[in-house]
Amino acid sequence: MLVQFYNVSKVYPNGVKALNDISLKVDRGEFIFLMGSSGAGKSTLVKMLFREEVPTRGQIFVASRSIVRMKRSEVPQLRRNMGIVFQDFKLLENKTIAENIAFAMKVVGSKSKDIRPRVTEVIQMVGLKGKENSFPGQLSGGEQQRVGIARAIVNRPLLLIADEPSGNLDMDTARDIMDLLYDINRKGTTVVMATHAWELVKNARKRVVTLEAGRILSDIYSPESL
Amino acid sequence: MMNIKNLTYFFREAYTSLSRNRLLSIATVTTMAICILILGAAVLMTINADKFMNRLESDLEIVAFLDSSLSKSQVTDIKGDIEKLSGVKSVIFVSREQALVNLQTKFADKNYDLVKTIGKNPLPDSYEVKAQNPQDVVNLAQQINKMPGIYKVNYGQGVVERLFQVTKWVRIISIGFIVLLTMGAVFLIATTIRLAIFARRKEIYLMKLIGATDWFIRWPFFIEGIMLGSMGSLISILLLSWGYGSLVSSLQTALFFIPLVYQQSLLINIYLSLFATGAILGVLGTYISLNRFLDV
Ligand SMILES: Nc1ncnc2c1ncn2[C@@H]1O[C@H](COP(=O)(O)OP(=O)(O)O)[C@@H](O)[C@H]1O
Ligand SMILES: [Mg+2]
Repeated sequence: MLVQFYNVSKVYPNGVKALNDISLKVDRGEFIFLMGSSGAGKSTLVKMLFREEVPTRGQIFVASRSIVRMKRSEVPQLRRNMGIVFQDFKLLENKTIAENIAFAMKVVGSKSKDIRPRVTEVIQMVGLKGKENSFPGQLSGGEQQRVGIARAIVNRPLLLIADEPSGNLDMDTARDIMDLLYDINRKGTTVVMATHAWELVKNARKRVVTLEAGRILSDIYSPESL
Repeated sequence: MMNIKNLTYFFREAYTSLSRNRLLSIATVTTMAICILILGAAVLMTINADKFMNRLESDLEIVAFLDSSLSKSQVTDIKGDIEKLSGVKSVIFVSREQALVNLQTKFADKNYDLVKTIGKNPLPDSYEVKAQNPQDVVNLAQQINKMPGIYKVNYGQGVVERLFQVTKWVRIISIGFIVLLTMGAVFLIATTIRLAIFARRKEIYLMKLIGATDWFIRWPFFIEGIMLGSMGSLISILLLSWGYGSLVSSLQTALFFIPLVYQQSLLINIYLSLFATGAILGVLGTYISLNRFLDV
């Protein structure tokens, strides 16, 4: 098991109850959708995976390590096993595409001689060959998200986490991004993706965990009926 | 936590950030320069006030008047007794004749003859006693006063106590003032640096989520802080040394009786300390401002 949630609840300091008694397991190699309307608690759940938030109650294990008991100094190591894809891409505007991707390797202390070939490799993988020296502002939304995905996988994570990765994209572009994520999953990376777009999920033949008001409503394989 | 492999990366990052946020860098350097300038001026003022107060205090002496009936050997014995008191620096005998001459010169007008006016020399023999530590003057004076053969002791009763009261408070207040200034400087600098860091919060957040360690993120900012701090303090030191230099040279001719501190070695030490303070404030300000953004 890569991820285990045991009776996890989260109450934010302002009193909002974002998650309520969530128990969930994710196996290595799985692709799992977290479905739910806005405010259901998807982002809160996802943030617990990389310990941006800690549960108010319950236990979380990632690769058999307890997130709750983890020391602050151990968090970087946890995160190096993960790649995160954001809805708003979070690219650095003053760095080129290649530099944005290399950045992720630099900040975990990779050697320069390893960085260059790996960056070339992932740029090819996400289909952006030839755009290495462009700046994010010169790319379309779909292309920018490809850079975001390339940056997320460049350190060969065990787990890829995507929070509404296609939230800012039109449906056709969103499907292309989905294909890229499926592709990455096929090569062995576990993927957890939060989304509210049922259109993307319904024919995916993947596991779908539906959240509503902080609880798990269902845990099924689409395209079963809800 | 800093290794050579990353060193060039840290410096390159710091340099890039400095030149990218030029306006904020200038603002920080200016803030730093003003803070250090005020701080330096306060230090110089304090040191001069201290020197002035030391001068006042070391001028203090005890005049012990002797009974006129004493024999020569008794007078010598008293000198020995006074010298035996702990804290006494020097004991000088002033004969009644010498005292009269001294008094006469104070009146300056050579034509005015005191003895003629009064008829005889009214002054007794005396000892002028200096203390090693001016703070002991009162205590010593009381001890001397109790000795046999002493007719009267004069040490500026009342004035001395008030002088010490004043110098004590001047010292406390000026040190308090410098401490407050330093705290104000830390706050001001931390605020300015926070603006620079705020401009890069997205990048810091990203680094944290990718798995950078806190120290990896901190170093470039620290180097940046040291650079800004040193630049700011360098500017203020140049201004300060130029300003103080002209002050010393103009005052020494016009107001020679004000004893300004001008020893090069002392001044250089002060300037070096200010420089170090600038660098430390840069790092401290960065540390304070940065921590909040690292809490992801
Ligand atoms: N940092 C926070 N502080 C307080 N409340 C929050 C915070 N983040 C999210 N919430 C609240 O928690 C609930 C779940 O939010 P979220 O996990 O972002 O849902 P989703 O991603 O499914 O839209 C919402 O009611 C939201 O307003
Ligand atoms: Mg969300």
